[in-house]
Amino acid sequence: MIRQPNVILGNGKVLVTMGKKGELLGFFYPRRDYAQHVEESLACLHINNRLIWTNNPEWYSTQHYLEDTNIVITELVHGTGIKITIQDFTHQKASVMVRKYTISTERDINGTFFYYSNLSVGEMHKKNSAFCDPDARLLVQYWQDNYIGIMADPPFQEWQVGKAMDTIWWTNARYDMEDGRLQNNKEDIGYLNTVVGWDLDLKAGKSKEITVFIGASQKRTLLYKMMLELIQEPVDNMFEDSKEDRIRWLSKKNMVKLSVLDDMPETKQQIREAFNRSLLTLDLLNDPLHGSFVAAPEFDHDFEMCGGYGYCWNRDVSEVAVSLLNAGYPEYCDMFFRWCRRTQLSDGSWFQRYWLDGNTAPSWGNFDHSTQIDETGATLHVMYTYYLTLKGLQRAEFLESIWITVLTGAEYLMKRTLGGLHEPCLDIWETYDGVFAYTSAAAYAGLKGAAHIARAYREMGLSSRWFERAELVKSTTIEKMWLKEGYFAKRIADGKLDPTVESSMLGTFVPFNMLSPKDPQERKMIYSMMNIIESRLSVNVNGHHGIKRYENDKYIEGNPWVVTTLWLSKAMLTLAHSLRSEPGTEAEVSRLVQGSVKYIMWALKGATSTGMLPEQVDKQKGYPAWAIPLGWSCALMIDNILLLETLSEGTEDGKI
Amino acid sequence: MGEKGVTMVRDLYMFSRGDENAHVVWFSITYHTDMGAEANINSVLTEIGVKLKFAYLDNTEPNGQGKYVLFTEVKEEAQIETINEMLRKIKGVTEVESGISGNRMIHTVDFPLNFLGERAVITRSRTILDILKIIRENVIQPDGLLLLSGLKGGKGAAKYVKGIMPADRNNCMAILRELFLASGWGKLEMDFDRDTCSGKVRVRDSFIADAYGPSDLPVCGYISGFIAGYMTEMMGYTFQVREVSCKSMGNAVCEHLVSIAPEGVNLEHIMKEGIK
Repeated sequence: MIRQPNVILGNGKVLVTMGKKGELLGFFYPRRDYAQHVEESLACLHINNRLIWTNNPEWYSTQHYLEDTNIVITELVHGTGIKITIQDFTHQKASVMVRKYTISTERDINGTFFYYSNLSVGEMHKKNSAFCDPDARLLVQYWQDNYIGIMADPPFQEWQVGKAMDTIWWTNARYDMEDGRLQNNKEDIGYLNTVVGWDLDLKAGKSKEITVFIGASQKRTLLYKMMLELIQEPVDNMFEDSKEDRIRWLSKKNMVKLSVLDDMPETKQQIREAFNRSLLTLDLLNDPLHGSFVAAPEFDHDFEMCGGYGYCWNRDVSEVAVSLLNAGYPEYCDMFFRWCRRTQLSDGSWFQRYWLDGNTAPSWGNFDHSTQIDETGATLHVMYTYYLTLKGLQRAEFLESIWITVLTGAEYLMKRTLGGLHEPCLDIWETYDGVFAYTSAAAYAGLKGAAHIARAYREMGLSSRWFERAELVKSTTIEKMWLKEGYFAKRIADGKLDPTVESSMLGTFVPFNMLSPKDPQERKMIYSMMNIIESRLSVNVNGHHGIKRYENDKYIEGNPWVVTTLWLSKAMLTLAHSLRSEPGTEAEVSRLVQGSVKYIMWALKGATSTGMLPEQVDKQKGYPAWAIPLGWSCALMIDNILLLETLSEGTEDGKI
Repeated sequence: MGEKGVTMVRDLYMFSRGDENAHVVWFSITYHTDMGAEANINSVLTEIGVKLKFAYLDNTEPNGQGKYVLFTEVKEEAQIETINEMLRKIKGVTEVESGISGNRMIHTVDFPLNFLGERAVITRSRTILDILKIIRENVIQPDGLLLLSGLKGGKGAAKYVKGIMPADRNNCMAILRELFLASGWGKLEMDFDRDTCSGKVRVRDSFIADAYGPSDLPVCGYISGFIAGYMTEMMGYTFQVREVSCKSMGNAVCEHLVSIAPEGVNLEHIMKEGIK
């Protein structure tokens, strides 16, 4: 079932996605892509002979992060005067989620507080097993080497291990809750659900705290050890540790003062918050063991409406890793390129997408004609970008470690661009086949980057070949795909140009620099592309325009995308940055900066209440749409903000 | 007249075979159920000479309201407004709507249709069967899923019935029999011992089994679940209901065993050797 989160949290070991009312939608362990153990996991009250699930519409809810942390505060208010505040966070070190519930009431209540879970441990409904150890007050569900444990402070008073989908329905935990009491069945196997419960007798004006710990481990003994030790630790200490951990991590980032926005203090504050949130989000999407990233936490596990997002694409991570690098976190690049060395295919290319551990993921790009050449180009391009930031011995070591990868990658690009245009393949959106300006630009940038690296490696012959080919790719792409109307065609397919306006042509400027604003003719081309994109792909929603991917886009209603909108604003800021050194450009630079800020603010309006940047914004309602949060959106937000910061530097009054 | 508000009467493809020159007309009369309006409506209709082609009463409308929907033939269109006026004057009648059937079809139901206080639809059993079969083919533990679906429906039905009429363990099974008939699900026969709370419920012409086709296993798990949910809600005990023979297996009737559910989970459940 497709369920889009409103917020995510986690640590290096677990990733959790939640809905607006604090209901768990995903619990990923040990990796961010696998396994997702939760179908449902949430609290429920039994009061006045009825169950009040905390995700039902009767609750008014608000949800936000505690600033600069991954601690989520959810507040639920019920018409009967009951209020529940949930503090959700993960333990700083252990693979444990902490859920601290504070229940208060305006009227006397006499009932039960339940914590219900329908787990599919190991992503399996079948062959699960669960038991409740009444001595330890630990409820465990497991499948193979995946163990999920539930413990609480105060310990739960009753429990039920039931069959979720069986004809012996009275053992089902959901039905067992209906009378407010549980049967305390200790163990069962199959497709299961479980619930633990506490008496909830509260006088008006009083409150009660119940903290639920959800831990994950690969061994039963380790789970026991971890949970039993954890329960001794004061929850407040865990809370402070979790908070401090993230604040400390954020303190390493490059500072952004954004003096360019001094006359818009509210906007400045929102953008600075978005900077921190985007950084924290990207870290949560990263697999610290392997160096890869999920594009977004998976929410369409069955590929009901798309191909899924819980995998690693080189295209996306190339954007993500560079944004983190520029923000002051080079270690993600280092780890990612180790991963790239390991995952490169024997022909020098990279596969469409991977599981985070490097195995090839479910794909519709298994052949030369259905692969995506841009991913190889983008990877080589960012390898060179990273190389440029290194110095001394570190640079030499990186060169040595990456050379074979670059060599085989560049030769792959050579093989696929023999005539200048790349051979037909799938596009950036993984939908169309043909020849594309974006893919050409990626191949150009990949070959250029590789050529620079080859030169540093003293492989002058290879370097010259690759430079030469890069220039051929550029000139042929412009010659064959630039339309007299002033933009690149969407594609060449079956020998014909498709004049559909396509936002990804921006890739010829940023990030791949095939077109340079320093060249007067190319600057005109950049302006022309941006103008055409703004005039033909703008969608008015949330009080400003967002940019959709291309004309007649049908994917998920053809919404405007945060990615394409921030891509355009990044292009505007990059252009502004380039113009700034030229005399008489102040007004134009100011126009570009102000325009880009509007797009950035539009993207933030489309975020969730917790600031999660989605892939798209619903064109009718202005709500965040589809993949939430999307790493690529976060990366572009960081890029935009860093460019704004660069433009802030060196201005006398900080204003443009 | 006609499309007043959102409530209107819709065609259901039952063709009139009356006077070819007359209009087929429907009237939908809403009234308070505690003022004897039903009898007065019938008197007025007789007085005017309205011959009913089809009619039904529904006294389960919310807020003590009832609905009388009838179908007749009228020679002159002008007569319809006269009938409307006379009906509106009846004490207890709160609203009268009417309309002419297009295409000479007899209208049989209200739109939106209500049943047991909820929006209802009419569907061919084949349509339900298609859904059930797809579930059986694609879902793990389909028997459990279908039973749980029925269970929810049965509990909901029992709650509604208890809200609109005196219902207890003495008459609830008779009400269930009527519910099955009213909804076209089948004819119930019961052999139920109130002391032991156990017995058999036989379903003749089960809408599932009738349309399902041959099967090696019982197919009416949804009905088992419905009966279990209904009885649990009505009687205050937890019931297990299991279909042990089914018309789809070549038996004359479908037979569901009914008993009090055992406490908790027994090892037999896990071993799946049967429910004791």
